[in-house]
Amino acid sequence: MLTTTTEGKYDCNLNHPLHLHGGACATCSAPRLHYRDHHDNADVRHQLLNIRAGPGAALLPKEVTKVHMQFAHRIEGGHMGPRKFWRENLPKLKYWNPSVPMVINRTNDQQGPAVMTVYFKDGKDASAPRFPSSAADGKSPAPKPGPGERTITINMKGRNSSVILQEFLDKTGAVPLQPTAKDEEEFREFEDLKRKSEIDRARIQKINDAKRREKAMLAKAMSDAQALKAAV
Amino acid sequence: MASTQQCLASLARLSLASTPTRAALVPTIPKFLVPSAAAVGASQQVRYATHNSNKGGPKKAAKKKKQYKFFKSWDLSAQQQFSLCDAMRYLRAVEVGQPPLSVKYEVHVKLRTRKGGPVVRDRVRLPTPVKTDTVIAVICPDGSPIQEEAKKLGAVLAGEEAVFEAIKSGNFTFNKLLCHTESEGALRKANVGKILGPRGLMPSGKTKTVTNNLEATFRDMIGMDEYRERNGVVRMAVGQLGFTPKQLAENIKTFMAKIKSDINKIDDSTPKMVEEVVLSTTHGPGLSLNAEFAPTDDKIKPEDLESVM
Repeated sequence: MLTTTTEGKYDCNLNHPLHLHGGACATCSAPRLHYRDHHDNADVRHQLLNIRAGPGAALLPKEVTKVHMQFAHRIEGGHMGPRKFWRENLPKLKYWNPSVPMVINRTNDQQGPAVMTVYFKDGKDASAPRFPSSAADGKSPAPKPGPGERTITINMKGRNSSVILQEFLDKTGAVPLQPTAKDEEEFREFEDLKRKSEIDRARIQKINDAKRREKAMLAKAMSDAQALKAAV
Repeated sequence: MASTQQCLASLARLSLASTPTRAALVPTIPKFLVPSAAAVGASQQVRYATHNSNKGGPKKAAKKKKQYKFFKSWDLSAQQQFSLCDAMRYLRAVEVGQPPLSVKYEVHVKLRTRKGGPVVRDRVRLPTPVKTDTVIAVICPDGSPIQEEAKKLGAVLAGEEAVFEAIKSGNFTFNKLLCHTESEGALRKANVGKILGPRGLMPSGKTKTVTNNLEATFRDMIGMDEYRERNGVVRMAVGQLGFTPKQLAENIKTFMAKIKSDINKIDDSTPKMVEEVVLSTTHGPGLSLNAEFAPTDDKIKPEDLESVM
């Protein structure tokens, strides 16, 4: 019943080593129904790929020392863009610049500002005040730049995350990193998977719909019979 | 004598049967003649047991699913494994912008072990403690010197009635509960196991929370973290997000050494060994560790992973 589908041919790379439809799993006796096999750890691979590569993967110049963001918890009032930037782009930036503190101060004030502050070191002495750590209660506002430091601010309110990222890259002079050949191969693999799962989802939905229809018809027939009995 | 019983049994059945051929037999054989009658009339008797085709063979049971004695172990040869600094780099990227006090590093130690039998269960004092918010209450006889001692040691609640009342009302602040051996009976009578049990607070000798030496137990409790094996895996929080790679490495090393000594203490009838060590964070993926420390990317130094989160 659970063999490969006959409707819809997957137009993905069938020569991929992980792409083994049917057959049994190599290490245990479980049937290998899906090429995203349970020993493959594909979920983690996908998650790590999205941390490593994609929009936001960029090397910051040495002068950029700290990044601070402030926005509200919920999205209304123009706080969706900054939130998306945090969720989708900031991990990549942090991965490639692990030594740069990237602190987020989330507030409960939806009407409040959504601002990014980037700190540059100008002079040699770096006697900057202690940088606060991230907070979810609005208790870590952006500190004033210390001596030998300057800041730039980016207004994020009501703006799309990609727009915020572009402005950030332009203003800091960060160099975007292109995904490696291996990462691109992996991106393709997960895209194939997505396409395949859409086909599968449609197929399963058809089966489930048919089941549901049959059940509804049976229930209706039963209730009709009951009504007939009651009438007689 | 067995043959007599069989004959009686078959006769009893015959007397119940309604078919005329069998019924005819019954009145002709008086009961006291049964053994000899059986010997004589063996050829005439219908022997039902012989019709069982599986006579003498093993009984056929319904096909059962195979029960494995060991927890499943996976083939790790294809598994990508990470050095501690590499794993931390990924996890710190996932947790960027989270308040660092609310995010913990966790270690999951997968054991090769039998299902059932003794489990690894102990407490460990980590070089850099993870939890700094231990609040202890003590059940001890009211008005005794023990109560005063407990208060002096820093218990938020000490006594019998006061503690039980707090537990029953449900609003208590403590997250550790001790019981002095003298109050054990009172604890049993108080009937609070239903409330405490699910929260893992019920004092018992097994978790070393029933004690007659409060001072030593307090010392152990504060800064000691409990762990236990569940389904073949020992999980414990080993660090806060703000920890440096060195602090985390020290904590993991201490934890692993303790687990190995626990495994050695358990008798040989239930062999256990460590199969895999996985590091994760509160929101992050689980990354299998390869026991290395240094980052593989030569542009990254361990000090880079010490910045404010």
